[in-house]
Amino acid sequence: MDMVSLNIVGGILVSICRDMGVTLMRTSYSTIFSESLDFTCGLALPNGDLVATGDYCPSMIGGLPLLLRSCAREIPIEEYEEGDVILHNDPYRGGLHTPEHTFFKPVFVDGSLIGFAVAIGHVCEVGGLTPAGFAAEATEVFHEGLRVPPVKIKRAGKDVDDVWRLLLANVRTPRYNYGDFRALIAATDLGERRMADLARKYGVAAFREHGAALMDYSERRMRAEIEKIPDGRYSFSDVMEDDGIEDKASTIRVEVTVSGSNIVVDYHGSSKQAKGPINGTLGVAHGAAYNAILQLTDSTIPKNSGCFRPIRVLAEPGSVVNVNFPGPSVGGNTETHCRIANVVMGALASALKERSAATDGASHSNFLFGGTDLKSGEFFCCYDLTPVGWGGRSFANGNDAVGGINGNCPHIPVEVFEYRFPWRVEEFKLVDGSGGPGKFRGGLALSKTIRCTDTPLTFSYMSDRQKVAPWGIHGGHAGAKAELFICRAGSEEWLTVTRAFNKVSPSKFANVPIRPGDRIKISSPAGGGWGPPEECDRARLREDLLDGFVTEEQAHTVYGLR
Amino acid sequence: MKFAQNRLYIEAYNKCPNCGLLLYEEPSGGVSGAVTFEGRLFCSPWCVNWTVDRRRRRAAEAAVPASTSPDPARA
Repeated sequence: MDMVSLNIVGGILVSICRDMGVTLMRTSYSTIFSESLDFTCGLALPNGDLVATGDYCPSMIGGLPLLLRSCAREIPIEEYEEGDVILHNDPYRGGLHTPEHTFFKPVFVDGSLIGFAVAIGHVCEVGGLTPAGFAAEATEVFHEGLRVPPVKIKRAGKDVDDVWRLLLANVRTPRYNYGDFRALIAATDLGERRMADLARKYGVAAFREHGAALMDYSERRMRAEIEKIPDGRYSFSDVMEDDGIEDKASTIRVEVTVSGSNIVVDYHGSSKQAKGPINGTLGVAHGAAYNAILQLTDSTIPKNSGCFRPIRVLAEPGSVVNVNFPGPSVGGNTETHCRIANVVMGALASALKERSAATDGASHSNFLFGGTDLKSGEFFCCYDLTPVGWGGRSFANGNDAVGGINGNCPHIPVEVFEYRFPWRVEEFKLVDGSGGPGKFRGGLALSKTIRCTDTPLTFSYMSDRQKVAPWGIHGGHAGAKAELFICRAGSEEWLTVTRAFNKVSPSKFANVPIRPGDRIKISSPAGGGWGPPEECDRARLREDLLDGFVTEEQAHTVYGLR
Repeated sequence: MKFAQNRLYIEAYNKCPNCGLLLYEEPSGGVSGAVTFEGRLFCSPWCVNWTVDRRRRRAAEAAVPASTSPDPARA
C-alpha cells in the first residue's frame, strides 16, 4: 500500500460521509436537519473504530466512538444481518443526550461484516416535558423524552413495526419524526452501498488494510502535533451559571497533562452532578476534549478514531461532566460541551499562544417552541439555534454571528422561519460593540426580535452566559453577555422571564405560554477579545468604528483611540 | 454495567471512578481487564496509578498555594 492509494481511499470514505449528509439534509422533514444541519455521518469498522466522518457537527464526531463501543458490546457481531439498522440514543451508554439519535447499519460484502454506516442527528421532538426537547427544568432523564438503548429498528431489510410504533407513540410530532428517521436511515443506506462498492473495488482484505492504515496515519499526525506542545500540566476553569433548577453555578475544571505525544484531559475537581439538565454525559466529555484539541492542531488531520488515540479523557462519574443515571443531561451536549471545550482550549492557551483563541459565546441560545397548526390541526415543533460571536485569535478578530464551537449549525433563514412557523421576524442584526475588546476583538453577537402571529405556542429555552461574560485571553476583554426579554401583547414593557413568569433561571426554562402578538427578543453572547486592546491596529480599529462594530465610547475609553 | 439475567434491563451502571468509562460485566461475571483498588472497580491499572498520583499531587498543591490560570468566573 502506498500513500497515494491511501489518500484516494481516505478521500473516497470522507466523500461518502459528506454525501450521506446531503441525503439526510435533502430528505428530512424538520428544519433542524434541512436548514441547521445538526447531524453527522460516519463510517466505522466492525470493532467500532470510526474510520471516516463528514465535517458536520463536531460534538457528534467526538462522541461517535463511545456510541459505537456500546453497540459493539451489547449486540454480538454474529447477531447482525444484512439490512439491519440499529437505533441508539441512550445518554448513559455513550450517547450525548436523548435528542441525539444514532442509526447504525452493518455493511456486508460476500456475507462478511466489513463495517458500519452511521448517521447521528438531533431529532427535534423526543417527547418528555416540553415540545421540541430541551426540557430545561428536567430533574431526571424521564423528563427528557424516550430513552432508546441499542435496538434494531430494521431487521434484515424489514421495518420492525413494534419498535416504530413504540417510538412514534411517544412523541408529539409522529409524522415529522417518521420522516426524519427515514432520512437518517436513507443516509445509512447510501453509506452502506458506497462502502460496500469501495470494498469490492479494492478487495475486502485491502479495504481493511487501508482502514487500519488511515487510522494509524491520523494517529501519527496527531502525535506529531502534540509533540510540538511543551510537556507540562496546564489548568483552567469556568462555570455554567445555573442549571435551571437552582440559582447556583457549576464549575468545570480541567488539568491537561502533555507528555511527549500523549495528552491526558482530566476533569476531576469539577462540580458534582447538577440537579438540572446541564450535565454532560461521558460522550460529551470525550467529544468536547477531542473538539478542543482538533481546534488547536492541524485541521487537515483526517478525523477518525486514530487521531483520538493519543488523547485520554478522565471524567469522574456523578460529576457535571459525567452524569449518572437517572440525572438529566439534555443541555449538556449544547451548553456544557461549549464550556468544556473552551476550558480545554483555555488551559492550553499559554502553551499554544499563536493558536489560542478567546472563548466564543459558548451557548446555542436554544429556542424551542411547539403548537397546534390552526389549519391542519397537526402539532408542530421547532428547534432554532442562535449564532454567537467567536473569540478573537492571534491573527484575526473572532467571526461574527456563527454557530457555536460544538455545532457548526447554520441559523434557519428568516424566510424559511417565517414561512414554516407563526412568527414575524421584526429585527435581525449584529449587536454593535458586543465583541470583547482586544488586539483582535471578539466576534459580534446576534440579536433578533420576533412576534407571534396567530397561533398560541409553548416556548422553552436552554442557554447560558447571561450572568457570566465570555472571557478574553492574553489581556483581551470579555465579550457581551446574552439576553432574553419578552413583551406581552398589548404591553410595551420588556421583561426577563424570571420576572414575567417567576422562573429560577433567565436562561433555562420550560413551557412558557406565548399568545399571538407576544414578542421575544434574543441576544446571543459575543466572543472574548485576544490580546490587549491598546495593541489593536489603528487602521483596523477605525474601519470597525466606521462599520459600527466598535462603539465610539469603546474606541476612546477602551482602545485609547485619539 | 450489570444486566438482568434475561438481558432486558439494567441492574447497575458501573463506571471506572477515574476515567468514567462504563464497565460492562461479561456474561461469565466480572469485568475484563478491571482491577479492584480500595474497594472500587477500576477499568485498568493505569487508572489506579493515575488516581494515586493525582491524590498525592493535589495534596502537595493544597499545602503550597500555586499560581493558576485566570479564572474567567472572576474576570
